[in-house]
Amino acid sequence: MTRIITITSGKGGVGKTTITANLGTALAQLGKKVALIDADFGLRNLDLLLGLENRIVYTIIEAIAGECTIEKALVKDKRQPNLVLLPAAQNRNKEAVSPEQMKEIVDRISANFDYAIVDCPAGIELGFRNAIVAATEAIIVTTPEMAAVRDADRVIGLLEAEGIEKISLIVNRLRPEMVQLDRTIGVEDILDILRIPVIGIVPEDERVIVSTNRGEPLVLDERPSLPGMAFKNIARRIEGDDLPFLDLMASYDNLFTRIRRLFKA
Amino acid sequence: MNLDPQNLPESNGSRPLSLVNRFSRVRLKEQEGKIFLILPSQDKKEAADEWSQIQTDLNYYLNNSENFWQAGSAVSLVAQNRLLDGRQLQNIERSLARVNLKLKCILTSRRQTAVAAATTGFDVEQTKADRYLERTDASDSESKEPLYLKNTIRSGVEIRHSGSIILLGDLNPGGIAIAAGDIIIWGSLRGIAHAGAGGNRESKIMALKMQPTQLRIADLVARAPEKSPEQIEPEIAYIAPEGIRLYLANNFAKIHSFSEQLQAWTEN
Repeated sequence: MTRIITITSGKGGVGKTTITANLGTALAQLGKKVALIDADFGLRNLDLLLGLENRIVYTIIEAIAGECTIEKALVKDKRQPNLVLLPAAQNRNKEAVSPEQMKEIVDRISANFDYAIVDCPAGIELGFRNAIVAATEAIIVTTPEMAAVRDADRVIGLLEAEGIEKISLIVNRLRPEMVQLDRTIGVEDILDILRIPVIGIVPEDERVIVSTNRGEPLVLDERPSLPGMAFKNIARRIEGDDLPFLDLMASYDNLFTRIRRLFKA
Repeated sequence: MNLDPQNLPESNGSRPLSLVNRFSRVRLKEQEGKIFLILPSQDKKEAADEWSQIQTDLNYYLNNSENFWQAGSAVSLVAQNRLLDGRQLQNIERSLARVNLKLKCILTSRRQTAVAAATTGFDVEQTKADRYLERTDASDSESKEPLYLKNTIRSGVEIRHSGSIILLGDLNPGGIAIAAGDIIIWGSLRGIAHAGAGGNRESKIMALKMQPTQLRIADLVARAPEKSPEQIEPEIAYIAPEGIRLYLANNFAKIHSFSEQLQAWTEN
């Protein structure tokens, strides 16, 4: 059965779209057939991150209106034959589509794929409802900031009320050196509030910004990077592999921090 | 632990605080061995998104309340004067199916709803007046029975109850629990809890982990101190003559008693 996963967060700017692009690419690399659906009407970005902006002819709006077939609206990825993107419309706003239309189109697309991954807009209004209406599971993205955690908590409540029970968490943009110095909340503190299973922890890295600007998802980069490895591991965990989490603290572990920890304990 | 006392700003107003839960507009009720799902009656000037709100409330209610029913029980829907189409009925059926209940019969005073129900394959009973409403509303919405919840109250959720609230889970920041009686939290209290909301100063708030945004009892408010204590133990918040105070839960009852004269708990 196709797994329809919504990537959502409540708060904006935590990395939903980056994670959607990288997870989709990583799952395609594992040989899965993946459809990425951009539900952020009016503020579409997913095509940019995948470097597919100049290949878009039709969008989800035309597919819903019946002005083109769904197959025509799907943009094939230039590197991964298993990966397609259904782009959002840039010239409309979020009220252009109703949840019923969205559910129908996502269900029809997903029939031909192993995964349909929906990139949800920020907020909890109609755009959010459109993005979750067809979902069978959800991945919550948060960063180690109280505001992001609070919004994630709100969104988890809304998802639970909609009957979406399989909800997992990605902690994005973690800065190990700040956690080490007790300057930010850690993964443990986030879990203490949200109480949902973690599926990945992604460290902050400049190369994520470079890759998004170039339209090349980081998981495709031949030079290994910590965030790239984290994304690949998340894809394998979605597939059901039981992998240990990366030791993000390793490179910051020196004698000084060890003594500090000793005294704290 | 000391708390910063404040006066509750809304206490000056004469408007009584409503203690009817928003989601308790929707509720399940067992009567004479039958289970009824009661929807609120339809208002003329109802907002367009009212239905999706009712559905969210229904799901929340089903997921979080104590299951008193036997798996597979049949449910009669008391739709009152609400206009429902086949799809809406099927959505309700699906929500009920998730908690092992079976939608069987629709009780309605609207002809269109009756037709939709019959064509979707449910039994229909046309009612004239709101007789189920009459029998259940007065007693139920002001129920003094404790409300038992076994889930996290997350940000944005507000629980109101006219008795005591027992929560098996956390009350997260941004979540609010308001009760006319006590609030007992078997978990962390990080949000806002308001006990004795009807004015009962004898009410208490208990939590395994007391880290509230704000505590309110009757007409008093307190904030937690800026610095949280090193070790966190189960605590009780109560009204002392000086205002809201916290005390270790395991010793509270031994040395405190409520003074009717002071309208506060005092140490023996």
